[in-house]
Amino acid sequence: MTFRRALTATALAAALVAAAVVTGAGSAPAAGPVGSGTASATKSVCGLGNGKKATGSPIKIGAIATKQAGTDFTDIPNMANAYFKCVNANGGIYGHKIQYSIQTEQTDPAQIAALAKKLVGSGVVAIVGNTSLIECSVDHKYWEKLGYYVIDSGIAPECYSTSHSAAVNMGPRYSSDGAAQYVISQKVDKIVFDQSNVPGAGYNSGGVELIAKANKIPEQSLTDDVPIQDANSVALKLVQAAGKNGGVVLNFTPDQAALILQAAQKQNLENSVKAWACSTPCNSDFLAQSLGSAWNGKLGVNAELNLPSASGPDSALYRQIIAAYKPSLAFGLGSFSQMGFVEARVAVAALLSLPKGSKYTVKTVNTAIVNVKNYKTDVLCKPWYYGKAPLHIPNNTDRTVTPNNGKMVVKQNCFAISAQDPAIAKVRLIEKKQGK
Amino acid sequence: MNAGGAPSEARASLSLPERRPTAGTIVRGGVIAVLLAFVLAGLPPLLSVYWLDVLTAVAIYSVVALGLNLLVGRVGLVSLGQIAILALGAWVAARLDFATSLPFPIVLLATGVITAVLGVIVGLPALRVSGLYLALITLMLAGAITIVLNSTNFPNGGGGFLGHTESSFGSGGIRRPSIAVSDQAYYRYAVVLAALMFVLALLHVRSKPGRAWAAIRQSEPAALAAGVNVTLYKLWAFALAAFITGIAGGILGGSSGKLFVTQFTTQGSIILLAVVLMGGVFSLWGALAAGVLLQLLPALLNDWGAPPDLLTVIFGVGVLQVLVTAPEGLVVQVPRDLATLGRFLLRLGRRAASLLGGAQ
Amino acid sequence: MPSFEDFKPFFVTGLSLGGVYALSGTGIVVLYRATGVLNLAFGAVGAMGALISWALINHTSANQYVAYAVCILFGGIVTLAYGIIFGPPLAGRDPLVKAVGTLGLALILLGFMSWFWPPKSRSMFLPTSNSGYQIGIVHVTWTQIIGLVAAVVVTIGTGAFLRFTRLGTAMRALADDREIAATLGVPVRRVEAVAWLGSGLLAGTAGLLLSDLVALDAVTLTFLVISSLAAALIARLQSLVVTLFAGIVIGLVDALITPILSISTYRDMTPFVLATIGLLWISRRRVVSVGRAGT
Repeated sequence: MTFRRALTATALAAALVAAAVVTGAGSAPAAGPVGSGTASATKSVCGLGNGKKATGSPIKIGAIATKQAGTDFTDIPNMANAYFKCVNANGGIYGHKIQYSIQTEQTDPAQIAALAKKLVGSGVVAIVGNTSLIECSVDHKYWEKLGYYVIDSGIAPECYSTSHSAAVNMGPRYSSDGAAQYVISQKVDKIVFDQSNVPGAGYNSGGVELIAKANKIPEQSLTDDVPIQDANSVALKLVQAAGKNGGVVLNFTPDQAALILQAAQKQNLENSVKAWACSTPCNSDFLAQSLGSAWNGKLGVNAELNLPSASGPDSALYRQIIAAYKPSLAFGLGSFSQMGFVEARVAVAALLSLPKGSKYTVKTVNTAIVNVKNYKTDVLCKPWYYGKAPLHIPNNTDRTVTPNNGKMVVKQNCFAISAQDPAIAKVRLIEKKQGK
Repeated sequence: MNAGGAPSEARASLSLPERRPTAGTIVRGGVIAVLLAFVLAGLPPLLSVYWLDVLTAVAIYSVVALGLNLLVGRVGLVSLGQIAILALGAWVAARLDFATSLPFPIVLLATGVITAVLGVIVGLPALRVSGLYLALITLMLAGAITIVLNSTNFPNGGGGFLGHTESSFGSGGIRRPSIAVSDQAYYRYAVVLAALMFVLALLHVRSKPGRAWAAIRQSEPAALAAGVNVTLYKLWAFALAAFITGIAGGILGGSSGKLFVTQFTTQGSIILLAVVLMGGVFSLWGALAAGVLLQLLPALLNDWGAPPDLLTVIFGVGVLQVLVTAPEGLVVQVPRDLATLGRFLLRLGRRAASLLGGAQ
Repeated sequence: MPSFEDFKPFFVTGLSLGGVYALSGTGIVVLYRATGVLNLAFGAVGAMGALISWALINHTSANQYVAYAVCILFGGIVTLAYGIIFGPPLAGRDPLVKAVGTLGLALILLGFMSWFWPPKSRSMFLPTSNSGYQIGIVHVTWTQIIGLVAAVVVTIGTGAFLRFTRLGTAMRALADDREIAATLGVPVRRVEAVAWLGSGLLAGTAGLLLSDLVALDAVTLTFLVISSLAAALIARLQSLVVTLFAGIVIGLVDALITPILSISTYRDMTPFVLATIGLLWISRRRVVSVGRAGT
């Protein structure tokens, strides 16, 4: 009897302690004059930048992000949250504070659909910062019905092919397109494209296949189940399939891509093909550090966003906010948190575009969001926009970066993703029509 | 039961004399009916759509847990592949839904039957193994099914046998029954269907199959010697568990409209076993408790801001606790603990009263 | 269809992968032979040890060899603690119940690891990975060789230990029937403790090697156990030698499927398919069961 009581009591106590520790682990902003001042060509500020704490009625914004063992996208909304806090410390939205609600999901469609309803039920007027393997697919009809124009970091195909979603990144398909373009620029005679076997894999490889065909280069699309248990064989397979003058394009999450690249390096295979390339997830200093100097300049990573160390005013503000507000970022400085930063900035710009004293409702706020046009930031190659259109791929120009002694450096400056991918061609047409 | 007699009469009779329902049973039935009525009619106006969606998931996964509850608690067969069966059921329902315009209930029924057949196919090799091996081989089969599903994906309106296409998006999802399109109505539909599945399970348990299963669970050789057709009843158990799991899969598809491989993992099968054990396998109510643990508890923790990983730890602790101290699970343990707490408080109250009385 | 030349390098990677499966598989069977418990938390224990090691190396100034020792010791201590606390209460139960208990431990460890070490790109580079041999176009590191050799050493060493020493015989008696072993005067608790500690140290070592050979990721290493179980199942959880060979064969087949691009994406099914076929073949004439009836 005593053993049983002891066991139950210990279990309960442990659970309570764990819960307390974890829920208490927030971030206390070391708020200083971060983000304050006057915006200029060389300085970016948070919102109004007047250093006054916002105390007015809250404007509620929501986000849904995947967080489970093996996949964690919460860096993006966490960074957005830090920016919103900075804005709230600098006058808010004409005095109103932004109240941000982050819902995490574990890739269960019913759960995701329910969370969307939860957010709407709690009164959010905008959805900013969604990053999920399948949320766009599950919820896009719901957002369309209710009139929410979502600003997200897209992964699922529907994030780029529906009317009420516009992403600050390019997503796996178009980022892989960019990686393929890099490999083609290195004059390869065959392209092997390998990615994780997840829903949407067929869609992701579609662009690479079309671009290769248009350039008359034979192409092969492969998939591998993740998590990879035998990276050595995978690396060998890719090298064998590509051949001496071929190019290998990878589309994996950074940890899985690292496994393949490290296995290739362990077997001295980095020089066995003409070019290696990787879609955006590889763009992190973490990866650069985990790869040795053998990869210096050898891996072309498609970078949807500028380097975190870039010198523009937005990038500087991004770094200052991280230092001051210390958001919980598993990946630290990198493209995830940069995406969150840009999404939040666009949302705030849209909110500030409404005249002071406006009512902040779903209709007014989302009208402001969809009217975002020509939003310039040094984090992206080209100005960002939304606009009413059947599909959105506003970020369709990017760089190629490459690891160099533990850091990522620019190898190819801003270039346009090829219109040989029909969706991109469509988007370019839309851009022309809307005068961007 | 006939004892002795000619060899032709040695076959155990599994039919018991009919008994009239006792007053206790009638009262219990009445209480359940009232609770069900409250859940169906009283809850929806009280809760937001979000919580109704969560309860719909509770209903669905209670049925899945019921399948495993029957297998483990009644027959003593531990299957670590029930989530894979759920995936198969969901796949079949989705394919039928897109390929035909049959009404939803017919699709569900067909799904149940087809999944039952698949369950029997899985059960056939399992006849020759038992105990730990059965658990492990079902784990292996589940792993294989998951990898195949990774590549075939779920039907989403495309053509061909697999019905999956990635060339068009924004397509319609799996449809709901015409009488239950709104979330509130779908919630009621799911609860009613779950109740029907529980009734189906109860009917089985209270009649011949239930007694055969009890005999098999007690001792397979003895049951065999007593003339119970062990093979038939084991397969029947697999078929029943797969039938109700398949129907749960059909309702699952309709709840979100879309299905993804990512929601049917091997870890899910392991956690399902954990919660079924925690809920209690000696009573069908344990399956309901398991459904609550699996879907309501995460939603509550999410609301309170706790990380989802905490849940995994809780389930791990729960499994150990159940195995070591209370094999009957929460369904028996909680009322018993509450009763103990009640008695403790009563004693405390009496002692306090006597102290006060004495002090005067 | 690839040519024989194309297949050759995959023989080598297959042997290396086979070593991985064999190492985990033999570790699990050793535990089962010595304690009667199928330790499904084998991978999780090793994974946590490896992550602690990684944290020590990358976030403190600890010497890397000390960190490796910590990993191995951690495996031993956690497994021993589990064995001491949960071994006796579950001792008389069905092997299935005992295995499910270790599942509980695995879930606890997995939940903690996922929370404390969020998914990130972490790597473990053992010093033995810096050098190796070149076989054809494949470079084999010393770590891979050690992995395979360790599996063989575990098989032979533990097999001999269990067969020829008093302590080993006592362990086997315990695993077979605890009650009778106790009445025969075997110091049950002490022998059990040694068995648990030994198997825990093995789990820690395997975890360290696997974190280099496969990946330093909690989920991957925890569920690698399932693929390794295939080898153990084919050996009916009895023969260490069969586990060793089964693990190597599974690894070889798995790797050799890789260059066949049309079915390459299904290669992860190999352990499951082979285990199912193997088990069906073994049980074709008789019913295979473990343990006594009833819980």
